[in-house]
Amino acid sequence: MAAVDVQNVRKIYKRDAEDLVVLDGISLQVPDGEFVALMGPSGSGKTTLLNLIAGIDRPTSGTVVVGGTDVTKLSEGQLAKWRSRSIGFIFQFYNLIPVLTALENVELPLLLTKLSKKARRERALTALKIVGLADRAKHYPRQLSGGQEQRVAIARAIVGDPAVLVADEPTGDLDAKSAEDILTLLDTLNREFKKTIVMVTHDPRAASRAHVERHLDKGVLATSLNGREVAVG
Amino acid sequence: MKYLPYVLKHLRRNWIRTASTVAGMAVCIFLICTLQTVLAAINAGMEAADPARLVTRHGVSMIFNMPIAYKARIQGMPGVERVAVANWFGGIYRDMKDFFPNMAVESEDYFTIFPEYRIPPDQFQAYLHDMRGAVIGRELATKYGFKIGDTFQMESMIPPYRVKGPLQFVVRAIYDADTAQHPNANLGIMFFHFKYLYETIHGDPRVGTYAGAGTFNIRVSNPNQATNVARAIDANFENSDVQTKTETESAFIAGFMALIGNLAALLNGIGLAVAFTILLVTANTMSMAVRERRTEIAVLKTLGFSSALVMSLVLAEALALGILGGGFGVLLAEALVSNLANLPFMGLVLGNFPGLSVSPTVAALTFTIAVALGIGAGLVPAAGAYRSRITDMLRQA
Repeated sequence: MAAVDVQNVRKIYKRDAEDLVVLDGISLQVPDGEFVALMGPSGSGKTTLLNLIAGIDRPTSGTVVVGGTDVTKLSEGQLAKWRSRSIGFIFQFYNLIPVLTALENVELPLLLTKLSKKARRERALTALKIVGLADRAKHYPRQLSGGQEQRVAIARAIVGDPAVLVADEPTGDLDAKSAEDILTLLDTLNREFKKTIVMVTHDPRAASRAHVERHLDKGVLATSLNGREVAVG
Repeated sequence: MKYLPYVLKHLRRNWIRTASTVAGMAVCIFLICTLQTVLAAINAGMEAADPARLVTRHGVSMIFNMPIAYKARIQGMPGVERVAVANWFGGIYRDMKDFFPNMAVESEDYFTIFPEYRIPPDQFQAYLHDMRGAVIGRELATKYGFKIGDTFQMESMIPPYRVKGPLQFVVRAIYDADTAQHPNANLGIMFFHFKYLYETIHGDPRVGTYAGAGTFNIRVSNPNQATNVARAIDANFENSDVQTKTETESAFIAGFMALIGNLAALLNGIGLAVAFTILLVTANTMSMAVRERRTEIAVLKTLGFSSALVMSLVLAEALALGILGGGFGVLLAEALVSNLANLPFMGLVLGNFPGLSVSPTVAALTFTIAVALGIGAGLVPAAGAYRSRITDMLRQA
């Protein structure tokens, strides 16, 4: 079973009297444990596709099955619960809560579980250790560098042990060295922790760390690009 | 409870905004608490009224006096047990802020009609034998350190009573009350002999009818007949130069308070206006807080926080503002309300309620108002957070 199975998905936005077709009949399969890079020009629909996979948006038509669950059939409440268990989302701008420490930020998804405070803290600390920031547990985001903030964000994304990580331009706001650290971390999470990763990126260096590149243009998947393995939509 | 640290941390996010909103709420609650305390004290005074007591005053207005000769006519009427003249002296002790109620009374009759004022017999005899004697309440004695034998003077605010300057007094008795039977008895009044006042000012042409009786306090033999007796008294003087108005003691107190208008409506109206203003201020604070945290709300929802939970967190934050503001407001009221009478001019009104303090009922009521204001202020921003779409909020960031 594929970790992600997108079938014939369309996403249309209504803008005044016009229909804006962002995704036009996309089909995409991501096998378990694969690291996929979604690339394409601005406005190609890659972030929209990522959002559909993450369950934070709904397609106009088509199905999206992630980890065996057809997320298009879930209610809002069910979708929220599903996201908390099944998806780890990594944002471009980290989006840490500024009034919480690094540990508290990582602990945030675990507040939705029945774990005790002690257990939550332990798991959050473990996640911080994985990303190499256990010594920064009590720091606030303003006390961290951009790269460190993104690593805390990754720790937050993995603390619930989701099967699938989705990353929207995770290195977009970082310098080259920090970007490299993040990509190495994602690589580790994929190889050692068997996380399926779907990453949107503009950066060819970032894309080169993925197993597979998929290219979108004007809402459809391209058939080939520069000799790298690509998928047909 | 596990979300409480999250809520409290957000209150500290912009502590100036939080502190000023809480301070505003606290001042609002302090004001409402104080107003309700004054209203409760006035209502308690009315509840303390004895159904067997009537008060006769001048038919036009209580600021006019009646002929003293009316006493004998009232005393002779069926159903009347005892009659005493009582005049509001309006004397100032030391300073306006030290004001307390003080009355010139026909002592033997008056204290028979008001048995709740308990005076030790030896002190009462000493008082009766001293024209300048004063009976003061236990709370006054405590507040000003009065002891038996102390001398002091007071000058009235009422011009006819000032024609011979301040009156000199000697503390001859201190009265208490059985608080179990009479929980609302006022222990902050000073009484002296009506005869002393009368003989001091009588004959001076500047006094006019002020040498007369301000009120006649009457005890009837049958409380069930009080209304009939009242009607009969007024009928007796209908064709006299000075008509009278006789009513039960509680009606008299209510009418006295009505001199300053519909007090309850006034005070409650002020409280309502203040509460509405604070509702808007707090709602604005919450709206700003939620607008600033648009992305954060999107992140919480992305992490799996349901819309209902996110809404609850916003409401919890607003509720926390209400609780903090309400708590501080009630504490401020409890600390300050007993000292309000010391403010300029406040003593004139609040001196009638020397034991003014915030009751548990008023504290609970005003704290509940604060909590309701907090929740009310959070409703619109919370609804916005509930309805907001993740992708829209992330796009706006």
